[in-house]
Amino acid sequence: MTAVLPRSIPEYLDQLRAALRGADPALVQDALYDAEEYLRSELAANPGMAEADLIASVASSYGAPDEVADIYRDTEVQVTRALRAPPPPPRASASGRFFGVASDPRAWTALFYMLLSVATGIVYFTAVVGGASLSGGLALTIIGIPVVILFVGLVRVLSLVEGRIVEVLLGERMPRRPVYASRELPWLERIAAMFTDPRTWSTMLYQLLMLPLGIVYFTVAATLGALSLGLGLGGLAALLQGFGLPMGELEFNGGVIDGPGGAAIVMLVGTLLFFVTLHLARGIGRLHGALAKQLLVKTSQQ
Amino acid sequence: MVDTETHLKKFQKELSAGTVSLVLLAVLARSDEPLYGYQIAKRLEQTGDPLLGGKQSALYPVLRNLSGAGLAESHVEPSVSGPPRRYYRITTLGRQVLAEWAGSWRTTRDSVDSVLEGNLK
Repeated sequence: MTAVLPRSIPEYLDQLRAALRGADPALVQDALYDAEEYLRSELAANPGMAEADLIASVASSYGAPDEVADIYRDTEVQVTRALRAPPPPPRASASGRFFGVASDPRAWTALFYMLLSVATGIVYFTAVVGGASLSGGLALTIIGIPVVILFVGLVRVLSLVEGRIVEVLLGERMPRRPVYASRELPWLERIAAMFTDPRTWSTMLYQLLMLPLGIVYFTVAATLGALSLGLGLGGLAALLQGFGLPMGELEFNGGVIDGPGGAAIVMLVGTLLFFVTLHLARGIGRLHGALAKQLLVKTSQQ
Repeated sequence: MVDTETHLKKFQKELSAGTVSLVLLAVLARSDEPLYGYQIAKRLEQTGDPLLGGKQSALYPVLRNLSGAGLAESHVEPSVSGPPRRYYRITTLGRQVLAEWAGSWRTTRDSVDSVLEGNLK
């Protein structure tokens, strides 16, 4: 597919976007950003040159949109292979699959994300609700417009930050560059574009959702974590005490924990529950990664 | 005439996959100030064709790769001509790795040369 050679920077970027159709949306965002940086630098370095001639010369140095798309696709495969920690070897047995979760770093980082999400959720929620009411309240006055612009800018920065957290902790590929915004339009149209861009709204929705989700994630992770650790370590302590090891002030008597058999069962239940928690964290991590990708990235490319 | 170009292209692509990282890291190591993608591309242009016919757009993902691996660090600065630019600077780890890579490159180059020149028994 060799399209007509683009004659302007927006045309070039449109062709690049078309050539990358079907690729990971985060990769598309990065590729567009890089291309724009290169093209605009080239334009600034050759002030007298017509934009069409410049694009033609760029096609041989930076690459035509089709070629650039191929390069990004190829490099992405190599980079992911080289940078990501190798996935743990697949385990054949059911018990291997169940306990193997402890050697998967993704499960641990997802558990950490669940604990962290209540804090980030509060920040995002406060920013959106505070920003929206401030903008709404001031919209009637002259300082309303700058406040709205600042608010949308803040939402975008927080979206990029959340993207980095999600990529590092949940392993979902997210953009490393801000979304490409056309620089040619007059500023009033650019402000209008902020409101017609579905991504602005889906990002705010995500940030509002993060508070209830964060509370649920934190509660689940903290409750299951504390419960399984308590049962596991408590059972172990009771077992050791049963064998005559001094446990200081601790006293285990009564209930199921009475006797070494009961203690062993409690310890076993705690340990199994901990592995279940890790599985759950990994699963929630995957789901949440997909949700973040959908609301923070994909809506901008539809 | 047999078409040799596809073979050449494939070979160049495989060969440059490793050397691009080495060349980029070396450019960053030689520079006193942080550089952004376009500057690096233009510096490389002066030295002939280290990308082996490849396009300069291939540099950006590799730069990101180097930064992700901790061999380079980066920061963003606003620019008047376009989107904010990402500047890259080599890290201490990057310098150590570069020294090892350069050694490995020289060994490979010498042994490949000696095979090509028929210095084998």
